[in-house]
Amino acid sequence: MAERFVPARYQPPLPLEKLILQDGSEGAGDRMELDVLIVGAGPAGLACAIELAKLAKVGGTELNIGVLEKAEALGEHSLSGAVVNPRAFRELFPELKDADFPFRAPVAREAVYLLTAGGRWRLPTPPTMHNKGCYVASLCEIVRWLGAKAEEAGVNVFTGFPAAQLLVRGQAVAGVRTAAAGLDRDGGRTASSMVPNDLVAKVTALAEGTRGLLAQAWCQWQGVSSNNPQLFALGVKELWETKQPLDRVIHTMGWPLPSDAFGGSFVYPLDPHLIALGLVVGLDYKDAGLDVHVLLQRLKQHPLLRPLLAGGEMIEWGAKTIPEGGFYSLPQRRAGDGVVLLGDAAGFVDVPSLKGIHYAMQSGMFAARVIFRTLKGAVGAELMEYDGMVNTSYIAKDLYRTRNMRLAFRDGFYLGGLQAALMTLTGGRFPNEPYRMPADAEVARRSGEPPDGKLTFSKVDAVFKSGNATRDTIPSHLIVGRDVPAEVARFYAHMCPAGVYEVAADGLRVNAPNCVDCKATDVLGPRWTPREGGSGPKYKRM
Amino acid sequence: MKIAVCIKRVPDSETRVKIGADGKSLDEAGVKFALNPYDEFAVEEGLRRKEKAGAGEVAVICLGPAAAQETIRTALAMGADRGVLLQADKVPMDGFETAKLLAAELKEGDWDLILFGKMAIDDYNHQVGPLVAELLGLPCVTAVAHLEIDGTKGVAEREVEGGIEVVEFPLPAVLTADKGLNEPRYPALKGIMAAKKKPLEVKPVQPGAGAIEVLVLMLPPERKEGKIVGEGAGAVVELVRLLREEAKVL
Amino acid sequence: MTTVLAVLEQRDGALRKISHEVVTGARRLADALGGSAMVEAVVCASGPVGNSAQAGSFGADKIVTLTNAGFAKYAPEGYAQAIAERAQRGEGGYRALVFAASATGKDLAPRVAAKLGVGVAADITDIAVDGGAIVVTRPVYAGKALLKARVAAQPAVLSLRPNVFTPVERPKAGAAETVAVTVPPGRVTVREVKAAPAGTLDVAEAQIIISGGRGLKEPANFKVIEELAKAFGGRAAVGASRAVVDAGWRAHSDQVGQTGKTVSPTLYIAVGISGAIQHLAGMRTSKVIVAINKDKDAPIFKVADYGVVGDLFEIVPRLTEEIRKLHG
Repeated sequence: MAERFVPARYQPPLPLEKLILQDGSEGAGDRMELDVLIVGAGPAGLACAIELAKLAKVGGTELNIGVLEKAEALGEHSLSGAVVNPRAFRELFPELKDADFPFRAPVAREAVYLLTAGGRWRLPTPPTMHNKGCYVASLCEIVRWLGAKAEEAGVNVFTGFPAAQLLVRGQAVAGVRTAAAGLDRDGGRTASSMVPNDLVAKVTALAEGTRGLLAQAWCQWQGVSSNNPQLFALGVKELWETKQPLDRVIHTMGWPLPSDAFGGSFVYPLDPHLIALGLVVGLDYKDAGLDVHVLLQRLKQHPLLRPLLAGGEMIEWGAKTIPEGGFYSLPQRRAGDGVVLLGDAAGFVDVPSLKGIHYAMQSGMFAARVIFRTLKGAVGAELMEYDGMVNTSYIAKDLYRTRNMRLAFRDGFYLGGLQAALMTLTGGRFPNEPYRMPADAEVARRSGEPPDGKLTFSKVDAVFKSGNATRDTIPSHLIVGRDVPAEVARFYAHMCPAGVYEVAADGLRVNAPNCVDCKATDVLGPRWTPREGGSGPKYKRM
Repeated sequence: MKIAVCIKRVPDSETRVKIGADGKSLDEAGVKFALNPYDEFAVEEGLRRKEKAGAGEVAVICLGPAAAQETIRTALAMGADRGVLLQADKVPMDGFETAKLLAAELKEGDWDLILFGKMAIDDYNHQVGPLVAELLGLPCVTAVAHLEIDGTKGVAEREVEGGIEVVEFPLPAVLTADKGLNEPRYPALKGIMAAKKKPLEVKPVQPGAGAIEVLVLMLPPERKEGKIVGEGAGAVVELVRLLREEAKVL
Repeated sequence: MTTVLAVLEQRDGALRKISHEVVTGARRLADALGGSAMVEAVVCASGPVGNSAQAGSFGADKIVTLTNAGFAKYAPEGYAQAIAERAQRGEGGYRALVFAASATGKDLAPRVAAKLGVGVAADITDIAVDGGAIVVTRPVYAGKALLKARVAAQPAVLSLRPNVFTPVERPKAGAAETVAVTVPPGRVTVREVKAAPAGTLDVAEAQIIISGGRGLKEPANFKVIEELAKAFGGRAAVGASRAVVDAGWRAHSDQVGQTGKTVSPTLYIAVGISGAIQHLAGMRTSKVIVAINKDKDAPIFKVADYGVVGDLFEIVPRLTEEIRKLHG
């Protein structure tokens, strides 16, 4: 029998003592007081800010709203497929029409395929994946558009400022402390380095996206649990300019994924000659050598895709994890004293339909309404109402309907597929009990042609196309466990799509500047912490 | 100290170049624009000189399209006091046209120092600073990598082939900044907020057509497939020959 | 008589080598203009310039030395005035002025151009004449694109990118003339040219970078790279791969990594660097990449323009020898 190891054994715990800081602790330069602080300028955070600004304007009050974003410019760390359900946009901007929104094109045609090494079976589109009425879009473009709306509404958006620690007063969240910048490799100050800043607010909304660090910290600190731990998939995505046009949205399953890994691919035309394609794989895969980036390169050689991409050019590459646990992985509560959790950071993603953006925005809008009421001092108003709003909304309803679908794939593709089909057929009534899931890192693991640079690419080339220009002298932001044996080091090297981990003669080598903040490492390996603002990828249309 | 810093909004250094439909300009779809990196050194130097003098003003002047207001705000967030946008849809290819407009704006300013970046990273023109200095009749030192100022006298160091040129000059003067002059500061949070409230004047201008007319913008020839020249020390002579005659780098 | 003015550079009373490129460029333009256009080379100095006759062998019909006691070292304002006055004399004046886009040229050309009421067509890599108009080609966006432009200015002021106009022997009369000029004392004075402190050639700014990797086996072997760098006579910087810096063999400031903000070198020589997982973006925009590695399948050979497979301890010293011969 092949050797097995459990990644969790080699993973350092969440450094909670470093993440929770008493407000008033020394070490910060500027201190800024806001009414509402939002961490993360993604769709959830920006929708929250915009809704808050609107409520303030209508209510004749002035609210000082600040949004912190770790990327150097809006959108640079945003990555998704994406096919977007427009309902949240319509609710947030009732005065606008669909044509005004930052979408590329309505989904006209779709196809779902089960791939084999040389062929394909066209499957009927599963009901959960019908995308009629939805739009193909670039999340980067959405975020930039929302950001402009936010700034127009008077919201302060601070790019290049990662939130590194939660500031607390007693059991309440008071704000955040940002990361320092300009440190040298050993963490020392340089001439131009910038000390951390404190931002304090009456309410802090954590909208950090997938595997949000402070969201994790708050939940652990406050003992907020969930039925299942959150599960994650890793998506590696490329943006291609093609000679051949594509007129439909495509999803595939099967090859090249091994039968004991969950996932599939998407191919979306942003316009007929601008294609977004990616492979998404659940991080509970069993084969330690599984490498999502490499599988994506293989996928592109399939007869379904190779002709489409022939003669084209890959113009961007990126990677990001997606919270996949669904309903049973949601934290029991997503609001607390002085804090709310939004979007992906809270786990509001529906994997079977591959949707998260409209849930993120909706959660931000719900939070904004609750925050506004509490700030106004409305009698009985409290942040906990946000949970109520989400729980009685379509967010919870949709997630509940597909609550076990992803989880069924714990048992492998075929068995899982069968169970998933049953769930669809019964409208979610099968099965009755939640599937119990271990955390990805708890799943035991078992212990490929060189890229041609035209159709397939090495990780080095790929990271270059993510726009990553992080300075080489930056201190490493990753917390590695001690004594990582060679087989685990190899596992890390395959796991990381950006080539951060390498197996060298003397053990694990960490090329931290390569990191594109996908967070796969935080799920399975060395812990991720924020580094100076502007580090990481610079996505343009991902 | 009254200091003016002239800045330019340029495509980010990571920009992937696509030729626009007219065959003469950059396709700006998806292009991220930024403050010219060499101008960052100039802004930083202006701020340091004002701080050192204890009092004064740093004004930022930019010739560019309406979107360049964002570029000016970056400089204001670093600490500059006010900005002026000479608004024109297209920045002329002919540096002399740019220089004329900037000189007209700077003329009555009674500046102690007028700072530029030594060149813009889009056109590498390397001339607007000294052109403006000539038009204003002011002394000028270009590509300054080290600067000392004592009252109305200054000493600058600039890199030349094989050494460092040490240059003396009087104030008021025009200087263009090179990498190494200083480490530009990160805009502070408070600076970013304050920048929104600082004065930014927008003046529409009409650049002349200039005497340098763009005919074509094209991508460079494809990088040829690399080749293994040979094995061992024996291949060196051929390598050197190729580097000299084919690649023209020796 | 159509004349192109080639502005040469001297240091310590001798013409700098870059002057050959300037004359070559001016000659090329003159020939393209046709009608037996002439090239007049001009140089500012405090006295006779020893090897000025060289200008003749590269195509100058006439070589004029503008002398003034204050012209021994570069005198920005004096040189600019003298050259501008020269350019404005005579019927019809000069059709074009050609400078090198060297450190001095980049400083001098705009000053002269402004006095003549025009801008500079700067950093050009090719000159042609089309229907009587001067058309130049130049790189833009850090070499990611090429621009072709028509220069309608009269006179046209051009500066040539160094290392592009390979000097071509085209012997012409090269009649020498010396003209004493008077200019007001300049406000900007060059006090001295001091030597750059050894080893401070910034990897980010160097024209030539030679980087060593793990293939060097131990820190002391970097000597082999340093020798090669020296052979390039001060234009080359020694860089290090990330692996080597992480191992503590070289300082962080030597690291050549992926930070794409740095100016790209003309020539990048990767010695003992496999090019695997390490980020090569920083060197990717080098004009020419040479790789030396004993493993013929090393990924770096995919990125390199020229590769030599073999033992670097034999190849690099041989290369050093050849470069020394070239520069000797």
